[in-house]
Amino acid sequence: MQETVIRLEHITREFPGVLANDDVSLEVRRGEVFALVGENGAGKSTLMNIIYGIYPPTDGSVYIRGKKVETFSPRNAIELGIGMVHQHFMLVPSFTVAQNIVMSREPRRAKVFFDNRRAEEITRQLVKEYGLSVDPSARVQDISVGVQQRVEILKALYRGADILILDEPTAVLTPQETAELFRVIRHIIREKNMTVILITHKLGEVMAISDRVGIMRQGRLVGLSDTRDITEREIASMMVGRPVLFDKLERSGEPGETMISVEGLSVRDNRGLVAVDGVSLEARAGEVLGIAAIEGNGQSELLEAITGMRPAISGRVRIRGRDSTGLEPGQIRALGLAHVPEDRLATGVDPLADVSDNLLAGRQRDREFNAAGGLRLRRSSIERYASEVYRKFDIRGAGLHGAVGSMSGGNMQKVVVAREFSHETPVLVISNPSRGIDIGAIEFIHTAIIEKRNEGCAVLLSSADLDEIFRLSDRIVTMYEGRITGEFKPDEITKEEIGYYMTGSRRKEELAPNETAD
Amino acid sequence: MRLRINWSYILALTVSIAAALVIGAAILLISGYDPLKAYAAMLSGAFSNARHIGDVLEYAMVLCLCGVACDIGSRVGIFNVGGEGQLLLGAIVAAQIGVALNGLSAWIVIPVAGLGAALVGGLYALLPGWLKVKHRVNEVITTIMLNNIAEFVCEYLAKGPWKNPDNNIVAGTGNLPQTYWFTRLATGSNLTTVFFVATGMTILTWYVMQKTATGYEMRLTGDNPRFARFAGLKTDRIVLIAMLVSGMMCGLVGMFRVYGAEHIYKASISNDYYFEGLMVAMIAKYQVLPTAVISVLFAILKIGAQGMETAAGVPNQIYLIIQTVVIFSMAAESGIVSDIKRRMADKSARLAARQRAKEGAANE
Repeated sequence: MQETVIRLEHITREFPGVLANDDVSLEVRRGEVFALVGENGAGKSTLMNIIYGIYPPTDGSVYIRGKKVETFSPRNAIELGIGMVHQHFMLVPSFTVAQNIVMSREPRRAKVFFDNRRAEEITRQLVKEYGLSVDPSARVQDISVGVQQRVEILKALYRGADILILDEPTAVLTPQETAELFRVIRHIIREKNMTVILITHKLGEVMAISDRVGIMRQGRLVGLSDTRDITEREIASMMVGRPVLFDKLERSGEPGETMISVEGLSVRDNRGLVAVDGVSLEARAGEVLGIAAIEGNGQSELLEAITGMRPAISGRVRIRGRDSTGLEPGQIRALGLAHVPEDRLATGVDPLADVSDNLLAGRQRDREFNAAGGLRLRRSSIERYASEVYRKFDIRGAGLHGAVGSMSGGNMQKVVVAREFSHETPVLVISNPSRGIDIGAIEFIHTAIIEKRNEGCAVLLSSADLDEIFRLSDRIVTMYEGRITGEFKPDEITKEEIGYYMTGSRRKEELAPNETAD
Repeated sequence: MRLRINWSYILALTVSIAAALVIGAAILLISGYDPLKAYAAMLSGAFSNARHIGDVLEYAMVLCLCGVACDIGSRVGIFNVGGEGQLLLGAIVAAQIGVALNGLSAWIVIPVAGLGAALVGGLYALLPGWLKVKHRVNEVITTIMLNNIAEFVCEYLAKGPWKNPDNNIVAGTGNLPQTYWFTRLATGSNLTTVFFVATGMTILTWYVMQKTATGYEMRLTGDNPRFARFAGLKTDRIVLIAMLVSGMMCGLVGMFRVYGAEHIYKASISNDYYFEGLMVAMIAKYQVLPTAVISVLFAILKIGAQGMETAAGVPNQIYLIIQTVVIFSMAAESGIVSDIKRRMADKSARLAARQRAKEGAANE
């Protein structure tokens, strides 16, 4: 067995009111891929942040290569050979790849001037050594997310890391990019005898790449095993604390009339660039239409334009046959549309208000909740309604009168879903419903979506998670750079194949917008 | 929405005021005054007779309405710093209406003047509101600038077209005919029957903000405008209406000052009263009832300090020192309190972890 490079002894970390890590002891060995899995809020990131020195543990000790860590700071961790690639990249977009890689240890001429040529040389050398291909002189803002991740990894390697922590590295990658990342991981382990810690909640990846796996739940390490001795199902049950059955979702009913119809829609993004370029699609009653696209390919803008949150440059949107182009969100809701937005904290809730007031939003003028002809809110009815919804959607945490902003992601998302699904709306527009939430909540929300579908709602679903798209959709369209590149039934295409349509390397020509227009 | 008493806030406020009084006392001591005597003079300056109490209530009324006007804006996420200008314009328009309509019944003139003052104040606030909503122009800058413009416009009117023909000493409008004066409640003080109207306005604002769907919508808009719009609210309209009402309230304060206290428009009709009201609103965290309570506290300090000046010869600037220390402490309060809480939580967590470890060892 190889030497132990990281040893954690009885690590406890408490934040006000939260025990994020509870007596965790763990060893990581040289030359292995150690996967750390757990639901959101299980304490994986806290544990990694302690190793990376972002904050000290409340109690317990960390040993790196047998030496006890006394000062907790990222600078110290980097010196000890630890590199971390965060979920959100820490790169300067306007700098080149080489400039980003050498940052903080730049080569200089005469100790003052930045030596760009030398920086690019260093980068080329790293590329050769580790087998990650990047163009040293390209600007970070012009390269894809997958390549940006490689830059992050190279940055850590340049600083001398031989223990790499990757936090949810595949969340933003296509299947092809994920395969490439895994190839790189295997390469650096084989050739350089490095150590990789992988934080993830995708169990397929755990099985594919890791040597050992640690499972966390509610701050505790509840399982530790060689990957080959454990099954995906066993890991999932340990994560959730009970057996999880990803049962097949029961579908019933036939698609009915067209509820959402989009014709030649073009929309600008926040920078003023055309993000949606002449998209046409239709969703019918009793079906889930899934949009599969890599983040930043116009799907967010498309959904925002349909729900009225963003103006369209051209094209038409019809909701249940009524032209809704250019209407305000409130007017479009009045046509029978509900919307689960992409970014729940920025768009989906009032984080300062309590759960009950968040559930009320949009219905505050209803007769049911008003007394004296609208001159007084009927608090008792609101209370009754909110507690009923609270129970039905199994919201947990703060209670009816806790601030929504202090809830966990999963429960916050349940508040959003509970509100949007409790309106009588035949049209649902849903964006990334399970992003950053735990398995139990995902299962609940998926079931709720399919129930709505079976009741005869038209559901337009966009998700960065392909598993989710395949699980829920009756039809799938792929989007690339603002255009539709294909339409499929989930059973007629594989996840690997659909990746080619999401990256634009294949497209169904008959579906190009110009030809479908008439 | 429910009435909750925030004890830590009350404690912080009490500590702030106490600290301010101690610092004030130290300054008095250094300057060679007897702090106890000075504070005693302050108390008697505020409470010794009906006139003083009346003045305290009148000043509290002005602070409170200005503060509430600021609360209304803040509730929808807009910071109305332009109340001073709205107040001045309301005052001069109300004064000129009284002068111009001289001879008509008070039952006509007073409502018309109130309407005029509210309208001009409201419209003057609507302009920056509109610029904010339609063109994303920062309202803090526009409202501050509009204060200056209003000041100059009033000066021009008071020295030019609306000048008092009988008075060459003070630039101001004509004197308000006595039939239109509000009825005094205490001889010699500025407290008039309009105090009850102001109380009604404050309670009404509290009710709308706390108990109605409108208040709920205002709060959503202020907390997270993107969410409010997403939930179907017409956020632009809500902001504009709030700004209009906030400005109307400031305009009315101007009218109250003319018809209740000064009976003429002159530049000293407001001595940055809106800014003091705004300070009160800040300390009250933009909540209506605390705004009213703190207005009374500050009015006691201010009127008391004037009495202290006459009785004990202590300059009333001591009031400004106390006021600014309170504001300073309250601004620092939230940060300090959360810091203390975090440290205490960290410490108890460490102890608990040790305890658990010990128990664990004992069990093995």
